[in-house]
Amino acid sequence: MFDKILIANRGEIALRIERACKELGVATVAVHSTADADAMHVRLADESVCIGAAPAKDSYLNIPAIVAACEITGADAVHPGYGFLAENARFAEILEEHELTFIGPSAEHVRLMGDKIKAKETARALGIPVVTGSGPVGNFEEAKSFARDIGYPVLVKAAAGGGGRGMKLALFDNELEPALLTARNEAKAAFGDDTVYLEKYLAHPRHIEVQVLADGQGNALHLGERDCSLQRRHQKLWEEAPSPALNENERIRIGETVAQAMRALNYRSVGTVEFLYEGGEFYFIEMNTRLQVEHTVTEMITGLDLVIEQIRIAAGAPLSLRQEDIRFNGHAIECRINAENPHTFRPSPGTITHFHTPGGLGVRVDSGAYAGYTIPPYYDSLIGKLIVHARTRNECLMRLKRALGEFVVDGIETTIPLFISLISEPDIVDGNYDIHWLENHLAKLGARG
Amino acid sequence: MTQPGGSFDKDLIRELAALLEETGLTEIEVEHEGKRIRVARGVNLTTTLTTNVPQSEARENTRGPTRTDEFIVHPGTVTSPMVGTAYRSPEPGSPPFVEIGAKVTAGQTLLIIEAMKTMNQIPSPRAGTVIAILFEDGQPVEYGEPLAVIEQR
Repeated sequence: MFDKILIANRGEIALRIERACKELGVATVAVHSTADADAMHVRLADESVCIGAAPAKDSYLNIPAIVAACEITGADAVHPGYGFLAENARFAEILEEHELTFIGPSAEHVRLMGDKIKAKETARALGIPVVTGSGPVGNFEEAKSFARDIGYPVLVKAAAGGGGRGMKLALFDNELEPALLTARNEAKAAFGDDTVYLEKYLAHPRHIEVQVLADGQGNALHLGERDCSLQRRHQKLWEEAPSPALNENERIRIGETVAQAMRALNYRSVGTVEFLYEGGEFYFIEMNTRLQVEHTVTEMITGLDLVIEQIRIAAGAPLSLRQEDIRFNGHAIECRINAENPHTFRPSPGTITHFHTPGGLGVRVDSGAYAGYTIPPYYDSLIGKLIVHARTRNECLMRLKRALGEFVVDGIETTIPLFISLISEPDIVDGNYDIHWLENHLAKLGARG
Repeated sequence: MTQPGGSFDKDLIRELAALLEETGLTEIEVEHEGKRIRVARGVNLTTTLTTNVPQSEARENTRGPTRTDEFIVHPGTVTSPMVGTAYRSPEPGSPPFVEIGAKVTAGQTLLIIEAMKTMNQIPSPRAGTVIAILFEDGQPVEYGEPLAVIEQR
């Protein structure tokens, strides 16, 4: 095991990692920018080092400063958290060159999954389902037979494309020919290449992701899924496990598929394979080679501390669990408490004048905020996460409603009122939502004024 | 590392300043309840130095490179531009780059900071006299940590 871990992050996740280190009996080093000198992750660490000025590029993204901080404190491993340097393969390599352990996957896997095209090819080769796509299509008849095989709607996409240009949707057979022609013309004009291909179009997908835990020694297991469909501008706001949309067979099927792929890849550390899910099928989006914000809901239903497992694996230990040891218990929901206006989502930095967190059975708050804390304007707006666990989804919703009512954050605006309003929406209660639901709902509220 | 709640007894400072005038001394330093105040005359500014402000309960980390000594107001304070280990001399056993009282020119090396196996020379930002050196040879320093005070002539 490591003697001392440096946490190259800030906010609630730095605190989260410190907690795991303390339970493992490992000393902690917090690093911080000049703007975060009073932050809770700095106060509660065994040691702290100011590594640079407020802008992230000068501090939390400053690789030489972080390595120098390891040198002066004698830390032997670095936990990158999420964001900042968590998926920077070069950072992982530099640490290795300085004989420091990067608590995460190999630099090679970070790089592989960071390249979205290679990641998709790798996923396909590993047997992970990806969106069905054709090769380049020649004539209309060829396109039509392919579209009928995969089923409408289909998207016609430029092979050289990007940014939505050369992309046309065909809902039915009779829309395919015009879509094909338009896409070809646009592709020719935009990219000088009129090669197009067809892809299955997902109109109402959910975002479902599978958590994996692997030791880089050939062992990998899955910890079930999380449903993160409630998003705004690709920002997740509400995550739950298990997904209201999956039954046990589907859970086991996709979980086993992903775990098998991770064994074949010989992946190490925690990781998340993200999918779009529609019509009973999964379609790979990407893999995150790091701890995720919403790892907490998986912890609540499995009883496992993912950060402790991740640190043990980084120290060279094999998995201490087998797939059959994993039990999913009850239901968990996480709400991201952001310092934002709950309607416009405009950031609301400032000083928290009063801060009271909810408590009671099955309620967890991961947050570095406190009364008197001033949220610096330089970083993201997440100030905490409310995680609620109960035996059933219904009980979980009631507990969440109760907990949100106890949560007091004065002095700034937060997303708490949004979550309070969502709880009484029939679609939320029924678990009947897709990745567009929240934006549509907000648009409706906006129109109503 | 800035400590919250490090307030100053303005009356005490005024009293000390008056005492300076009265006695014709150039410098008075008092230490009381973990707080050290130094008032000096014949310099551009009154310099205040605090040490060991009582720790709040939440703050457990006082060891390691975190230092609380700070020249808070002196405009001639040179702070560390990087994290690393600070050395007073170019190599072990050789004389220090500067001593207290030395006259320095702008750009003259005051110390070196070792970070990631590289030696970084820290130049004086201005010409003047070294009136304080705030680190020990071989001491780990963090970004923004005060290293020396150069008084402008």
